[in-house]
Amino acid sequence: MGAKAIAEAAVRSGLEAYFGYPITPSSEIMENISVLYGEKRYPWFKVFLQSASEIESVNMLFGAGAAGYVSMTATSGPGLSLMAEGISYAYASEVPFLIIDVNRGGPGLGNVAPEQSDISFVLNSLGHGGVKPIVLAPHTVQESMEHVHKGFELAFTYRIPVIMLTDALIVHMYDTVEWEPPYIVKPKVEWAARGRNYGPRHIINSIYLDPPELKGNKEKLLQKQKEIDKIAESECFMCYDDLDVLYIAIGISARISKEAVLKLRKKGIKAGLFRPITLSPLDKNSILKYSSHAEKIVSVEMNEGQLAQEIMRITRKDVEVLPYLGGYIPDVEEVAEAWK
Amino acid sequence: MEVKQFSSIFENGVTTYCPGCEHGLLLKFIGMALDELGITEKAIMVGSVGCSTLAYKFLNVDYVQAPHGRAPAIMSAIKLLEKDKVVFGIQGDGDALSIGIAELIHAANRGIPITVFMYNNMVFGMTGGQMAPTTPEGMKTTTTPFGRDIKQMGPPLDACKILSSFPQISYLKRVVITPKPIFTKDRVMYSSKEAMDSYKAVLNAFKTQLMEGFSFVEFIGTCNVNWKMSILDSKKYVHEVGVKVYPPALCRDAFGVEKK
Repeated sequence: MGAKAIAEAAVRSGLEAYFGYPITPSSEIMENISVLYGEKRYPWFKVFLQSASEIESVNMLFGAGAAGYVSMTATSGPGLSLMAEGISYAYASEVPFLIIDVNRGGPGLGNVAPEQSDISFVLNSLGHGGVKPIVLAPHTVQESMEHVHKGFELAFTYRIPVIMLTDALIVHMYDTVEWEPPYIVKPKVEWAARGRNYGPRHIINSIYLDPPELKGNKEKLLQKQKEIDKIAESECFMCYDDLDVLYIAIGISARISKEAVLKLRKKGIKAGLFRPITLSPLDKNSILKYSSHAEKIVSVEMNEGQLAQEIMRITRKDVEVLPYLGGYIPDVEEVAEAWK
Repeated sequence: MEVKQFSSIFENGVTTYCPGCEHGLLLKFIGMALDELGITEKAIMVGSVGCSTLAYKFLNVDYVQAPHGRAPAIMSAIKLLEKDKVVFGIQGDGDALSIGIAELIHAANRGIPITVFMYNNMVFGMTGGQMAPTTPEGMKTTTTPFGRDIKQMGPPLDACKILSSFPQISYLKRVVITPKPIFTKDRVMYSSKEAMDSYKAVLNAFKTQLMEGFSFVEFIGTCNVNWKMSILDSKKYVHEVGVKVYPPALCRDAFGVEKK
């Protein structure tokens, strides 16, 4: 199951602390991790704690990250809303951790079926004051495992919260996976608040009362963002030539759209799929390149068109939305039909 | 006279708190206690939101700035991962008992060996003197211009009463940090008993943490600026009204650190 794979990948990648609060459909990740806690094979896995709320979870992640430990949690939309405050503080104080958002139907309590309706929230408004975490979007169970490892690495390389955006379907899906011999993420953390130890003190802080100081910190974060922009990654599936239709999708929608593309290719229709692997930073150069050769762009997503908005902002081209709402998943035939 | 230099305090303990506020006194006691116990090098301070935020400017220890009310959650995580370190937080009454009461209660109930110092001045100080959950009945604040009405707002929250129901707390104490004014014929003098008690409470709280227990100390202090009183009147208020609402008490001392 996706959740089990994610749990295994996290612990084998060097997870040191897990803090979580149950919420469907993410709870299976926490349950699977709880089983691995205390195993002799993973001596680095120091703390597993069920918190009293998502607010407490995110602040425990903040504490663990501030002390330089590899930590993560898994949650879903309503929980992520509560975590926005902590993510904003972590972003400003440059504290690393990984949050897995298992997207469920929203807004409000919505339902527990898969949706992709957190995209705009995660990309544009995760906390007050202008927050831009790194966002990863796996589309298979295999890729979910790899992204957990990558998430830890990115979080510590850039000292930033990383969000892995996935959905109820991938996390509950059974799939074959292959796990390379694990290599542990062991970050260097000279900056971490672990006590002065006869050296200079470490300050993990987000308060800058003087405008010049705050401006300085914001400029530093923006400068870092320029470095982060270089890691943008995407896949263009079957994008060989001028395209009749370019599909755009992430997560489970991308996996289904790949089938549709293959179907269309068999019929001689030149179809391709553009799939952002990192949603933030978005691979702007690739989307501009592939979209410029496409007759038509169709965004397949399990929401009202949030990804399409991001793509339109970059390409300045019309993007047709094929929306699936309320927990319905894309249908291969329907996706294929949308090329017309 | 020689002034003793404390390695954990900057600039001889001079702070930028308002004149008459005892917040700086609390920070000084914390710094002195860290030095006395020889734990400055392994101390990690977690700051909260409010006047206590400024603590990082005056105590020379590792520092993590928490969101409003969330310091106990952050302290818990750090302590669980860095077991041999001393983790403490300074919170205000608004931070700890209003927005952050859930985090405080759960950290206390788990009994994670951390130390929480709560400076209770009965208002929201940093934001300009609004009502806090601890505001006594009838006290005028900027959001209760006619005095706190306990029929609508309930009685002031008593942190020690709430926390004494948790079995895993090892040290729980309330002290008054405001020096008591003593009126003589021609001048006003201040008692030093409160300062001695407060310092002892800080020391004992750290000792409890070193013995793997959760410790919480509430300091009843003034906020003369937001109470709109003179410094002297505010100190009188604490000793006339404050101590009636919040009587000093040792509510828990599981390891008997008080006696040692």
